[in-house]
Amino acid sequence: MTCNEIKELTVPYLELDLEPSRVRDVTTHLNGCAGCRAEMEAVRQVLVRVKGMAVPDPGDQFWREFPHRVRHEMARLQSTATTLAGPSRYQRFWGGVVTAKRTLALAASLLLVVSAWLLRGQFDEATAPAPSVSQPGQPVKMAASQPRRADRGQDSEFATVDLPAVVDADWHDYWEVDPDAALMEMAGHVDRQTMDRLLADI
Amino acid sequence: MAASDYQLLDRYAAGDESAFEELVLRHQKTVYDLAYRMLENHADAADLAQKSFVQAFLHHRSFKRESSFRTWLYQICLNQCRNALRDRARLVHEDVEELALAAPQDTFAEVAKSELKDRLGQAIRTLPARQREALVLRVYHNHAFAEIGVIMSCSEGTAKANYHHAVDKLRRVLMAGEG
Repeated sequence: MTCNEIKELTVPYLELDLEPSRVRDVTTHLNGCAGCRAEMEAVRQVLVRVKGMAVPDPGDQFWREFPHRVRHEMARLQSTATTLAGPSRYQRFWGGVVTAKRTLALAASLLLVVSAWLLRGQFDEATAPAPSVSQPGQPVKMAASQPRRADRGQDSEFATVDLPAVVDADWHDYWEVDPDAALMEMAGHVDRQTMDRLLADI
Repeated sequence: MAASDYQLLDRYAAGDESAFEELVLRHQKTVYDLAYRMLENHADAADLAQKSFVQAFLHHRSFKRESSFRTWLYQICLNQCRNALRDRARLVHEDVEELALAAPQDTFAEVAKSELKDRLGQAIRTLPARQREALVLRVYHNHAFAEIGVIMSCSEGTAKANYHHAVDKLRRVLMAGEG
């Protein structure tokens, strides 16, 4: 073996990391080469000195507390991660359901309000007190806000009641007080044919 | 008979907190030693050893058990060391620029004196990170080169080469100092 080859094998030789046959070759060379022996000794000294460099012991208390420090740090990181991650998938799912329920409830409420508003007119019509035609002996009173059926322009709605003669006792007082209003109210209860008859009477 | 690291990990995964403590107690000194030899001060080494265990336990489910728990722990620790040394190098670079303007002359004299006093320590400090890792793992932790390769995420041959280069540099430094 040459000196250069030995140089390459110095560390493995000292580390006992060579095949037995190679160890024999190196040993044979070292026995006959002072230069390589000095080189080998230098490397051995390096390893001895490096190995002799100790790490200061931080003390028993440090070692006793160390596992608790690790545990504490883990707990801190896990709580931070939970905070940053926000709600879990489970929480997000039920949160979504609750939000959807709220939205549906709001939509249903709006629908009810709109429906009530739309039906209000029909309800008013159905519940509005009939003119005194059906309540003989009392004068007919018309609320200022009460819709006038005559204004709606639908013939079918006019044909609900066959208007009695203006001279009927039921209508007489009302006619005496406000003939125009009485006429308009009557118009809301009569069909066209009756209206014609009424106008003819007038 | 003492439980193996794998058994302790299984127990920890099942909620046994005593297994956690046992694993830490079993490996805390070697992990701290590795961190100290890479970073050379107690505060950084303690912090880094702690981080290594935290990472290992937080991610224990991703440990595939293709190596020993200790090797895996060393891998984590070395990665943390590399990051710390990288950060430190950046800070030192910035500090040196400030130091050159502000430091008195005798600061440099003290540094030079310290260098002469501990040539070997200084030489180890100036080794490239990979060579230093191989040296520490081999000389202080007695790992086989195959295991060093796993820890350093390189081949066994590369681990050996890094180690040989490190020893050779130290030999030259030592011989220059004595000569």
